Amino acid sequence: MSNETVKSKDLVLKIEDLSIAFGGLKAVDSLSFEIKEKEIFGLIGPNGAGKTTVFNCITQFYKPDQGKVLFKGNNGEIENLVGQKTHEIISKGLVRTFQNIELIKELSVIDNLLIGSHIEFKASVLSQLLRLPKARKEEEVLRKKAEEILKYMDLYDIKDQLVGGQPYGILKRIELARTLMCNPKLIILDEPAAGLNEAETIALIEKVRDIRDRYNCSILLVEHDMKFVSDLCDRVCAISFGKFLAIGTPEEIQNNEKVQIAYLGKEEDYA
Amino acid sequence: MSIFIQIFLNSLETGGIYALAALGIILIFRTSNTTNYAQGAISMFNAFVATYILIGTNLPVYIVAILGMLSAFVVGVLVDRIVISKTQNMDPVSKQIITLGLLMIFLGLAPMLFGTDPIQFPRFIYGSLTILGATISYNAILNIVVVIILVSFLFYMLQRSKWGLSIRATASNEVVARMMGIPTSIVTMTSWAIAAALGTLSALMLAPSTSVSISMMDGVQIIAFLSCVLGGFQTFHGPVIAAYIIGFASNFISYYISSIWSDPILYILILVVILFKPNGLFGKKMVKKV
Amino acid sequence: MKKKDNKLVMWYKNKKPYSSYILFGIILSVLPILVELKALKYSYLTTIASILIYSIVGLGLNILLGYSGLISLGTAGFMGLGTYLSAYLTADLNLPFELALLISIAVPILVGILTGLVSLRIEGFYLAIATLAISEIFRKVFVEFEVVTNGFSGKKADYPTLLGFIELGRNGTFILIVAILVVIMIITYNLINSYTGRAFLTMRGSESAAKAMGINIYKYRLLSFAITVAYAGLGGVLYMHFVKYTYPDTWTLLLSLNILAAIVIGGIRSIPGTILGSFVVFGVPDLILKRLPIIGQFDGLAYIFNGVLIVLVVLFYPTGLIHVKEKFKRKNTKLQKEEGSYSE
Repeated sequence: MSNETVKSKDLVLKIEDLSIAFGGLKAVDSLSFEIKEKEIFGLIGPNGAGKTTVFNCITQFYKPDQGKVLFKGNNGEIENLVGQKTHEIISKGLVRTFQNIELIKELSVIDNLLIGSHIEFKASVLSQLLRLPKARKEEEVLRKKAEEILKYMDLYDIKDQLVGGQPYGILKRIELARTLMCNPKLIILDEPAAGLNEAETIALIEKVRDIRDRYNCSILLVEHDMKFVSDLCDRVCAISFGKFLAIGTPEEIQNNEKVQIAYLGKEEDYA
Repeated sequence: MSIFIQIFLNSLETGGIYALAALGIILIFRTSNTTNYAQGAISMFNAFVATYILIGTNLPVYIVAILGMLSAFVVGVLVDRIVISKTQNMDPVSKQIITLGLLMIFLGLAPMLFGTDPIQFPRFIYGSLTILGATISYNAILNIVVVIILVSFLFYMLQRSKWGLSIRATASNEVVARMMGIPTSIVTMTSWAIAAALGTLSALMLAPSTSVSISMMDGVQIIAFLSCVLGGFQTFHGPVIAAYIIGFASNFISYYISSIWSDPILYILILVVILFKPNGLFGKKMVKKV
Repeated sequence: MKKKDNKLVMWYKNKKPYSSYILFGIILSVLPILVELKALKYSYLTTIASILIYSIVGLGLNILLGYSGLISLGTAGFMGLGTYLSAYLTADLNLPFELALLISIAVPILVGILTGLVSLRIEGFYLAIATLAISEIFRKVFVEFEVVTNGFSGKKADYPTLLGFIELGRNGTFILIVAILVVIMIITYNLINSYTGRAFLTMRGSESAAKAMGINIYKYRLLSFAITVAYAGLGGVLYMHFVKYTYPDTWTLLLSLNILAAIVIGGIRSIPGTILGSFVVFGVPDLILKRLPIIGQFDGLAYIFNGVLIVLVVLFYPTGLIHVKEKFKRKNTKLQKEEGSYSE
């Protein structure tokens, strides 16, 4: 099924001709793809292909040189995210995780989750300083929400422990839990399976599927583990040196010649 | 017209003094990744040492100055070995706080060892000459020339020597430099030593007009930081050029606008320029990798 | 059989830490009584009052450094601004104390926001240099604006008069300071545990996470700095009305550094730590160091003492002296907490 026949009302994200260069090097070159609603979409490519750069361009951590990032947000309207400020993105319904796990060590697990719903807190500074009822109430409500998510993610037992010192697998789960706090329409996961053992990886696959169903959202992820991608993703887009290679189901991609050459091809590609 | 030339010539000297101080700051900033708030105090400390040497031995002034710089060199090495080397893996804010601690230590040591009264440090050479109606002292000419030679020599070494390459590599990316076999801990040590020496020379050039006192470097210190802000923290030459610009601005503002408020006006001007050029006049915007 | 806690103890335990702050305040309020009974020397009371005032300012700086990861070197300047304004407004313009208090906090906030607007647009460390410059400008202003500040001769003011008719004396002012400190401790605690406090910690811990979670870093840094400056102004007002005299040379970089030292040494991100640190930095020199034989006579001993402590604390006990006891206990327990640093 080619991209063009998919009706736009089914889409949640559409990247058009996305390009960015650093110095003279084009890191992403006229990349286009679409993600449907309730779809789990994978982005793969050899190391250095520019996958995290693509994520950064979508989430406006980098400003692309050209191209559009069309996103259908929580309000149902389609917007071009390019040019928006980085911190405005989450309020549209797009949230991400990081390759290096960006959690706050000095805060507890549940407090880290509460950061995920920062945009929902509305009480004024004065209200917070004096702990007026409005501030107390929204803290209570959102704390309950965080507890629900922690239970869902099997993290409730450690909710009051500090994040600093937790094992790697738990940290990844906490970061994933954090994304659920803002009722996302699209969750972007940057190497969610990195560093996980086989059991944890299988659990993750189930969890991501469950999240998609429960939260009615789409997932965009980048991963190196081909088995993980094949088992989990509905469709996959392969890129190499920032350029589009192929798009299709995991099976189609695995059998695609261009992809095979990019991954396993000439010696120089390993550098 | 002759006043203009006068101020111009004075500015060359002032700019040179600022340039030495600024170079010390940027050298440490780019190799240790921290702003060294103790720079001025260490310079002042060694200026006292030099003055005591002068009083105690009666050696010629320029020899004393060199000895003062040597003392600074040693102090810089000690500070690096005892404290800074242990902070290698710390975040920048912690490193800055350590330099603030060092600042306090030196601000306490100086009056303890040298007393609180200012003492005189003489010029290197006396006499003056007149150019186009403006008077300039031989000492000022000497200072101007020495700074230009010294700074040029340092830049030459930075570009052409192995040491310079090590410094530039460490400044660019300390971890990678270390992996490439560059002894970054030695690079850091020499940076601190050289910065201390440069600062001390700056203080000694300043000394004849301000006397050697605990607070002698306070003003220069701020200007050194502002030079780095104005010139940009990404290059070595930026702060040096900015230091000269500030030297000129300072003297001209002082004469033509107001000498009492020249400092505040200068600071505010620089902060305004930064509004438009956040990375400094010569700075480049760095894209942070996420 | 365990004795059942009575109501008071239960209230104390349930309302921690508010209750411990209030208890702390009550204990401090007893001190003026001791002075009246000649059980405590008046000079000690003055030292303790300054420790408390610097604690208030220090709490503000802790919000900036400990929670938001920014350094300000201009604390003394903003404090001095509050001091001089309050003196001028009450002594020269005869405004009521409460109004003078409000204005003397509002003006520093305004100047602080202006400073922050410029310097916070770039990297965080520009704030340090900008506040250094601003503080020097303040000192110049304090010297030159003789109409308001009396220049080098110094400015005088009196103990505050509350509600227009309650004239506080020395002891009353001390108790006012204690009361305000307790209130500040409570609202600081509230702030730290609110979503704004979490936002501060997030921007410090991970700018990327902050941005991804919708935190406008520029805005929150400005907010943090404004709060810090407000605390400094408040401290300045209290200083003026207890010490009753000020001159420009008080408000130097050295004072800013001392306050910074207090929070670093006592405990970054800790409210009791700030009080402990203020005691170490502002109390120990007067109460202990100066009285030591021989070396006590040297100027500068206090600075060396504080400077060395800063270096030792940052290198070996980054979370401050307040947590030292914990650190030894922790070595024996299984649960390892990550050692905090200033912006990691």
